[in-house]
Amino acid sequence: MAEKFHTELENVRLETVAMARFGRTMLRDAVDALIRQDTDLAASVVARKDAIREREVELEERCYQLIATNQPMAKDMRIIVCTLKVVAASLRIGRYGKVIARIVQEIADRPHIDHMMSIPHMADLVIELVDDATVAYETDTTRKIADFSARDDTIDALRHSIFREGISHMMEDPRSISRCTHYIMVARYLERCADHACRIAENVHYMHTGERVEIH
Amino acid sequence: MTESTIISTTNLNLWYNGKHALESVSMGIPKNRVTALIGPSGCGKSTLLRCFNRLNDLIDHVKITGEVLLDHANIHAPDTDVVSLRRKVGMVFQKPNPFPKSIYENIAYGPRVHGIRDKEELDRIVEQSLRHAAIWDEVCDRLDDSALGLSGGQQQRLCIARTLAVNPEVILMDEPCSALDPIATAKIENLIEMLKKEYTVIIVTHNMQQAARVSDYTGFMYLGRLVECGRTSDLFEHPKEELTENYITGRFG
Repeated sequence: MAEKFHTELENVRLETVAMARFGRTMLRDAVDALIRQDTDLAASVVARKDAIREREVELEERCYQLIATNQPMAKDMRIIVCTLKVVAASLRIGRYGKVIARIVQEIADRPHIDHMMSIPHMADLVIELVDDATVAYETDTTRKIADFSARDDTIDALRHSIFREGISHMMEDPRSISRCTHYIMVARYLERCADHACRIAENVHYMHTGERVEIH
Repeated sequence: MTESTIISTTNLNLWYNGKHALESVSMGIPKNRVTALIGPSGCGKSTLLRCFNRLNDLIDHVKITGEVLLDHANIHAPDTDVVSLRRKVGMVFQKPNPFPKSIYENIAYGPRVHGIRDKEELDRIVEQSLRHAAIWDEVCDRLDDSALGLSGGQQQRLCIARTLAVNPEVILMDEPCSALDPIATAKIENLIEMLKKEYTVIIVTHNMQQAARVSDYTGFMYLGRLVECGRTSDLFEHPKEELTENYITGRFG
């Protein structure tokens, strides 16, 4: 029975990695669609929202089944707890991709202002954070998440800078208000995705060591 | 463990016919807490339990070295009164073993052996013991019926009441629920939770979930050694030893 349990636990873990990459790709595609003003790509991101939700429900259900039928302990218990958090965070990251894709559909008919300030750079940093958190979960290691606190600080600083730059553009030219407001919102969503990556990292640390850490 | 310790062992070794069954076991049992001993069959957990009231003395060709202290007194000292020791350290076994007597007599037997003859005093002890063992309401109107007519779960609680009747300090339980159904098991587990207010309980169990549910401290034994001992919440959430991790996650045992 223990072998059956561990086989299923490993399958759930591998499929959770796949779900994390699915959510990450929704975010990446949404940002690419924003940069290129590609409404077809944006529409394809929006169309994936049900698929990621279905994966979340299925993986959560399988975790609950593992808990109910095996009463896991120690590392097994920590893997399941971490998996549930990764599943929830990945859904949120994918959902933010969808929200950004909706913004693309709204503002694609007008040219970008100031090359969207630092949004493309910020997006790269956030997606790297999501990638590293996913690899840490996949490989059950903490090397790639050791510097998350400093990287998250950089992302927070970029969001603040985009906010200030956006306000400046809006004051200079009220016609930019709509687009700049959307940029500020996108920066906010990206910052939230970084926070979800940090929550994944905290849980991977717990899964790996059994100790709780807080990444600010 | 920073709590006050009622039993402690130091370098306790035990051999059965030359077979080394306990190897240098050193541990403390905190007072008024439930301590569980877990481990695969033959790891020595029952043997260790039986050291605490010298029940292994009854087996031929047993050699014991090291120290077992109860309330800081060495239980192997020549002047130890074994009858008194077994009153202080009571035991409940895997299979309920009531005497083939009435419910009342099962409880009154121990106090009588220890010299109590007064009927009113015996009545009081019988009621109090049955109440503490959470079985009084089920048997109070049939105390003269044979104890053998009770269900398995009731018999086991009767055996716990019989142990309580001689006012022990420590109660040893060797797989007390393994012959019981889940409902009877839940009653015993609730009872263990209540008992620790007044007694120290040490329980040997094969059921890790039971150890996790009922105990405050858990010791994991393997091949006669105490591999790890600590707070139950720590041991089941993040054990220190890989061997413990592998056992409690079902990778062996």
